[in-house]
Amino acid sequence: MSPIIQFDRVSVTAHEKTILVDISFALFAGEKAALCGKSGSGKSSVLRTLLGLHTIKSGAVYFQQQRLTASTIQAIRSCTAYIGQEPILGAESVRDALLLPFQFKAHRQYRPTEARLIEALQRLQLPADILNQESSRISGGEKQRVALARGLLLGKKLYLLDEVTSALDAESRQAVFDVFSDPDLTVLSVAHDPAWLELCGIVLELEAGRLTLVKRNGNA
Amino acid sequence: MATLDIELPRMALLYGLCLLPWLLLWLIGLRLSRDIVVGVLRMSIQLALVGIYLKMLFELNQPWLNGLWILVMLLVADLSILRRAGLKARYFTLATFIAIAFSILLSTAYLVILVIQPAHFYDARYIVPLAGMILGNCLQGNVIALERFYSALRKNENEYATFLMLGATRWEAVRPYFRDAVKAAINPTIAGMATMGLVSLPGMMTGQILGGSEPWIAVKYQIAIMICIFAGTTMASILNLRLSLNIAFNAFDVLRDEVIKKP
Repeated sequence: MSPIIQFDRVSVTAHEKTILVDISFALFAGEKAALCGKSGSGKSSVLRTLLGLHTIKSGAVYFQQQRLTASTIQAIRSCTAYIGQEPILGAESVRDALLLPFQFKAHRQYRPTEARLIEALQRLQLPADILNQESSRISGGEKQRVALARGLLLGKKLYLLDEVTSALDAESRQAVFDVFSDPDLTVLSVAHDPAWLELCGIVLELEAGRLTLVKRNGNA
Repeated sequence: MATLDIELPRMALLYGLCLLPWLLLWLIGLRLSRDIVVGVLRMSIQLALVGIYLKMLFELNQPWLNGLWILVMLLVADLSILRRAGLKARYFTLATFIAIAFSILLSTAYLVILVIQPAHFYDARYIVPLAGMILGNCLQGNVIALERFYSALRKNENEYATFLMLGATRWEAVRPYFRDAVKAAINPTIAGMATMGLVSLPGMMTGQILGGSEPWIAVKYQIAIMICIFAGTTMASILNLRLSLNIAFNAFDVLRDEVIKKP
């Protein structure tokens, strides 16, 4: 089996500063991995590099064995959901936020029904009536789960989660993890939370832009 | 009916009026003498030069010379737009030039050739002031459009990236900022049309009336110039933003740092 994500000796600089040095790792479909390390160690940069938001100085990133280039980036982005600490919903109401990607040409023909919206929310333990709430009035944890639900609705296979569980209580965190226990879904996350690290099969530790430790928990 | 000339001694009398505000400013403790002198002097010299130039332009009335004058105005406006919008001229000069040249020439030509129909379409008396007025207003609009658009993109970098991640193309992802920027650029023109004549008498109309025109003719020209400013500004700001999209982003749809001037 070939890896879904592969970093091959990747170095990245941004604003004339080196942010990643010689990073190599591979992630297979269905695996759940966490990047940990001090703030500024380059954890989020790994996610951003995979999304083509940083320019790769040397080395290569592969997604399903396709090298990340200007011509493959759209395909990579379309398979990937990125959810940050304070996700941007990009619309006035939660319903519009969930439907936002379906305004774009790439997804226009897959617009979900109301029932599918509610089902996606329920998988993340969100009530159906949140649909009519204003995006600015829901909590950080709810925003993260709405953003996750949006990823599920898009049928994304790869989830890049940047400190997602920080705003969640134990119960919601378990709900999130239950969703991702699906062997079809691959997760690359940034986390500090020990409980989340425990749940991830692979832990990648970064220090000053270098990968210093790769630990396989063997339970995923 | 010719306009009354102002002879030199009376011109000097006119400058005397500056003494009154100068005295008032001095009395309230504002020491602006230097700024006032520089301002009045610069205005006088610059306008005198334009006067000499325009007199020559009107007397010769050569199509190539008139064209050259418009070309120079377009180039100066181009660089001025980019400087004030905080974008590097090295990258955007051509795009902005194409956008303003196309819009200004189209709206001026429409007005002069189809509507006013002078004996010679290149008549300096028509095309130079009309193109100049349209361009002057268009300049403001383009500065606002570019400045708004690129500062909104940088301010909302994460939101823009989120749109990309949700499957938007570059064009789909910038569209909200694009619309806002165009709206901000043309709003002053639309608002100006809506209050025209109520708040103040428009400058061109005042000038024409002083120059001896029938008020009715002056009104028609004022309407003509406003419509051309509206058309020119809208076309130029949309075209300018659209062309800049091909320059300001890398192949991964990320805004290039180096195209924007550091504040």
